Amino acid sequence: MLELMVKYQDDLRRTLLIGGVILTILVFVALPTNVIQSGIRLSTPFVLGSLAALIASRAGVLNLAIEGKMLLGSFIAVAVLFQRDLDPAVGVLAATIAGGVLGLIFAILYLQIRVNLIILALALNLFVANATVFFMRTEFGVFGTLADPSIRGLPTYDLPIIKDLPFIGELISGYNGIVYISWMMVVAIWVLLRKTQFGRHIRAVGENKEAAETAGINVTRVQIFALTLSGMLAGFAGSFFSLGILSQFLENMTAGRGWIALTISLFALERPLPAFFTSLFFGFSEALSLDLQNSETVSFLPPDILLLMPQVAAIGALVLVALRIRGSELLKRRQFVAQFSKELGDLKRMVISPGQD
Amino acid sequence: MLKRLQIVGGHAAIPLFAVLLGLVVGSFFVFLAGANPIQVYDQLFCEGFGSRGCETFDDLLIVEAENDDGELETHFAPFYGERGHGMAIVLEKATPLILTALAATIAFKAGMFSIGMDGQLVLGALMAGFLGYWIPDQIYAATGVADFEAASSVMRTVMHIVVPTLAISAAMIVGAIYSWFAGFLKVKLNVNVLISTIILNAIAVQFVGYMINFPLRADFNNIARTRAIDDSAWLVPFTRGLFSEIEWFRGSRTGVGIIIALIAAFVIWFYLWRSTSGYEQRMTSGSSLFARFSGIATEKAALRAMLISGALSGLAGAIMILGVERRIVDGFASSGTGFDGVLVAILARESIAGIVLVAMFFAGLQQGAINLQFGDLPRQLGGIIIALIILFSAMENFFRETMSRIRHRIAPDAMTQTSDDAVPVESG
Amino acid sequence: MEETLAVEMRHVRKYFASSNVLAANDVDFEVRQGEVHALVGENGAGKTTLMNMLYGLVHPDHAEIYVYGEPVRISHPDHAIRLGIGMVHQHFKLVPSFTVAENIMLGIEPNQFGFINGKSEAEIVRELAQNFGLPVDPNARVSELSVGMQQRVEILKTLQRDARILILDEPTAVLTPQEVHELYNVIRRLADDGRAVILITHKLLEVKEVADRVSVMRRGKMIGTHDVADVTIRDMANMMVGREVILQVEKQPATPGDVVLKVENLLVAGMGGVPAVFGVSFDVRAGEIFGIAGVSGNGQTELIEAIAGLRPVDGGRIMLLDHDITDVNVRTRRTEGMAHIPEDRMTMGLNLQTNLDENVIVTSYQKPPFSSYGILNFQPMRELAARLAKKYQIASARVGEEIKTLSGGNLQKVVLARELEGEPKFIIANQPTRGVDVGSIEFVHKTLVEERDGGAAILLVSVELEEIMSLSDRIAVIFEGRIMAVLDAADATEEDLGILMAGGTLDKKE
Repeated sequence: MLELMVKYQDDLRRTLLIGGVILTILVFVALPTNVIQSGIRLSTPFVLGSLAALIASRAGVLNLAIEGKMLLGSFIAVAVLFQRDLDPAVGVLAATIAGGVLGLIFAILYLQIRVNLIILALALNLFVANATVFFMRTEFGVFGTLADPSIRGLPTYDLPIIKDLPFIGELISGYNGIVYISWMMVVAIWVLLRKTQFGRHIRAVGENKEAAETAGINVTRVQIFALTLSGMLAGFAGSFFSLGILSQFLENMTAGRGWIALTISLFALERPLPAFFTSLFFGFSEALSLDLQNSETVSFLPPDILLLMPQVAAIGALVLVALRIRGSELLKRRQFVAQFSKELGDLKRMVISPGQD
Repeated sequence: MLKRLQIVGGHAAIPLFAVLLGLVVGSFFVFLAGANPIQVYDQLFCEGFGSRGCETFDDLLIVEAENDDGELETHFAPFYGERGHGMAIVLEKATPLILTALAATIAFKAGMFSIGMDGQLVLGALMAGFLGYWIPDQIYAATGVADFEAASSVMRTVMHIVVPTLAISAAMIVGAIYSWFAGFLKVKLNVNVLISTIILNAIAVQFVGYMINFPLRADFNNIARTRAIDDSAWLVPFTRGLFSEIEWFRGSRTGVGIIIALIAAFVIWFYLWRSTSGYEQRMTSGSSLFARFSGIATEKAALRAMLISGALSGLAGAIMILGVERRIVDGFASSGTGFDGVLVAILARESIAGIVLVAMFFAGLQQGAINLQFGDLPRQLGGIIIALIILFSAMENFFRETMSRIRHRIAPDAMTQTSDDAVPVESG
Repeated sequence: MEETLAVEMRHVRKYFASSNVLAANDVDFEVRQGEVHALVGENGAGKTTLMNMLYGLVHPDHAEIYVYGEPVRISHPDHAIRLGIGMVHQHFKLVPSFTVAENIMLGIEPNQFGFINGKSEAEIVRELAQNFGLPVDPNARVSELSVGMQQRVEILKTLQRDARILILDEPTAVLTPQEVHELYNVIRRLADDGRAVILITHKLLEVKEVADRVSVMRRGKMIGTHDVADVTIRDMANMMVGREVILQVEKQPATPGDVVLKVENLLVAGMGGVPAVFGVSFDVRAGEIFGIAGVSGNGQTELIEAIAGLRPVDGGRIMLLDHDITDVNVRTRRTEGMAHIPEDRMTMGLNLQTNLDENVIVTSYQKPPFSSYGILNFQPMRELAARLAKKYQIASARVGEEIKTLSGGNLQKVVLARELEGEPKFIIANQPTRGVDVGSIEFVHKTLVEERDGGAAILLVSVELEEIMSLSDRIAVIFEGRIMAVLDAADATEEDLGILMAGGTLDKKE
């Protein structure tokens, strides 16, 4: 079993990936159009959030503060627009910057002041969750919901040519800018990590910090950049909650989706494309869940259970990765013993046998 | 003795400094909201920790109040319980914090960085909430008694003991198993505990949310909720039972839970510092190589710690439901009580007495902030201050190193002597 | 000759606040162009720290540094590299999943607008390897290379950055003899090229073989710099330890008794499943010290861990007093009479997080009088701690107090005290004097000989040949996981052992 797993690990991985893509396509075909559309919309913060998580992980920092950064982004996006009659894009931009700034603060506290990573992240999450509500009350004088006619949602765009394609056009066109940008970000992050100098530095820092340092890379700077970028992505993702769907901010609006984004990145082994597909899966599950709650029909598979599946799969992935490491070690051991028994004859001559004296 | 005091003082200095810094920076937020920080803090602490009639810091110790005849009398404030006392509510709110912080500490003290208390807590709560009406249902069905009111006094007494015991035990077992799983993955497969518990938390929270919304949903109430637990499962608050005469407890739902939590704190302290099992797991956390080298079964010690940790978290969840909430309402699962426990544990620096104190302090801050009136300040001020305090206390190394650097700069030669024989760090 | 010095360091001072150690105390150091300059000293003398300061990895509290006569303040390796300084660390600093070319070009990737040109990268590396006569496959993954190859990649890495000053930190520690030889050639060639090569080492033979000048450090201080031709190995050794080394240990001839430990065809895999111990057999008798000599990294660690029960055995048998202990756990081995003085006392031998009492009972806490019914009894613990501290003259150790402030020698005494308590029948002593002061070395040696005379069987592992030779009654030489020979200590010469340690064979003259 172990031998097989180790031997075919690449095939296995490929099969799983292809299987996932096929499954996603099947879901596309099987679901009603409106559910697919809302699924794609709902997957957007996961896509961006998981990218935020993976860029930090790749630089060697487990970013447990995605949740807080997202929440801050969704609050800032609305707070900036409140009674100012500005273009919603300004709100998105402000959210991105705010996320970036929080990412930068996080980086400085962790890397320069050397605050324990976990404490830092949990404290920041707690801080943002409370501070957003605090300012909602003190600055805007509202409870629970921050909304105003001056806050407009993001406009949607139709993609030229693509929108006229039969069937597909309907599904992948007609969303707001953040959705499209999130898709571009998947490619952009992949290119960044694989093809650029900065991306290689990020990977080197994440994999062997000392190697990067002695090669003259400023590790701290790379990590600060990565964490700031991660914060920007998370803030950007956050703005989608408040401007991409509802044009308002609700208390604790992200409701744990930052943590889910983190688990998506872990499940995807910190690679952008698998993270994208996993996010889509989450988006669809959530859309389905909403759809079923609204309609009176009873489903054969409760959608909330569907939401659990990727998380369970994430644990499964952790176990598989660990098994693979164990397995390859065990395999080497066995080979070693086998090889030894073959050479045993030669060895007996070489080894000075005991009891000579 | 003096030396011991000095050590305690040394341990407490940084946290106290952090608290002070947190309050100072927190006052900036108060100021932004257009209120007077001094007044706000007076009220925050009075509402959190004070008795009736408490208006300023001074009143936390000695309070003046009118008696029935309209005369002013001075009272020792902590014992002045006329129409309830803030500390009673603190005890109620601190209970789950103490238990989850103990859970975190015992895991940390085995070298397992588990932050899975949140997931274990909600699963425990779900289990207790469900059994809290399900077991009585079975009993009533079997005995033909209509409900708790209709039961004989003997039966009521028996049920009052059996039902909560069963529900709590089940909650503890569920929590323990869930925690053990993460421990097993670590010990057998070297899966990072931090990561696995984060995912397990997410799974548990989602699962409980689903259970509340679908299979266990009781009615068509706007916010989904489960059925209320049966009266027999209720851990009756002091105000309705044991200490109904004592005014001090009025207004709080403090009950047997806090006693359980304090007993748990003592047991855990004894386990960690006085038992051989505790010794084994402490050695494992100090240096697992050392423990293995000496013949300690490190895997067993770590798994045992994870089991205890999970059981404590499950217990916390059960007490929250059986003693306070009495049913699970949607949103309970995602409120993150377990994380608060982790933070308490970290701030208390693995000291059991510290956990009790810090948990009560946090509970008081949160409770005090709920009742703030000045400048229409929202209760989230409490959370902000707590977050700041945690941040500052986590900067301990930074503070210490800064201090040490200053000291070294003042008297550099004082160090040469001690380093004569020590091994320098060969970085490589 | 008035030539500009390649490196000049003056009044270097570095204090580590976290460990309370003065690693460099007013150190002066200089290196000429075109020379191989050895920097020697015992473990912990501060050599690596000094070089890390030159390379910008560690920041001195005070220093005047000149590179080619220019005063500089090196804040970061990046800066050091720009100054033409390259460093090959003892533990290689390579990214395992990257290719050779990606590692060599890390930080200086050929790029256009930030996008890497992968093809020209491989070309550059191939050309570089050719120019210096150090062939490598640019597209091979580093994780799949041998240690010697990885070191080559490291050297190429510095050369690609046009290093004129090359720092090599213990470069031969992990190499096979052939690889060592090759490395010496490379070092010579680089120096003849006009580069300055700084060789950090504690092997004095190596200094003699390859270096032009030598600087000796001891406990954070620079003792002196000499032309290698003018000093003998003994001179250097004296400078390293600070006084005439008395290596002869006073002892009577051994009177070996019955076999206590018997190892048969032992087969142990190391990290990641690679072979480490390859069919080793030997036995240790009561009342003798059996020494295992060898260059570090030849399977000693794995062998010891397998005997001690810390590492699974893949084949063969271990017998302790006629009991098969191959698969039993550590505790059983210890109750059967095994004691273990580990190589690394900081993480394995002691728990620095806790106090003296809890450290001395770790092997006996589960038994009375230290505990009853699973509850610890403090009084006996304290008594034991006090008694041991007195018996072993651990001056600064106090009952109930943390041990992390103790010196290396005293820490080792704590380990010794605990392990030798209860009259063990078999003692593993793995590098028992590593990093301890001279006084403690003598104490440790004396104690081990006393234990031997008391009838214990002792398995001594050391990379210090002199320690092996002066303590052991019989000596086995380990090379690449195999025992090359077992010699009587009386017959063994340094030359013979040296040949065996390098993988050679002795022609039997009998």
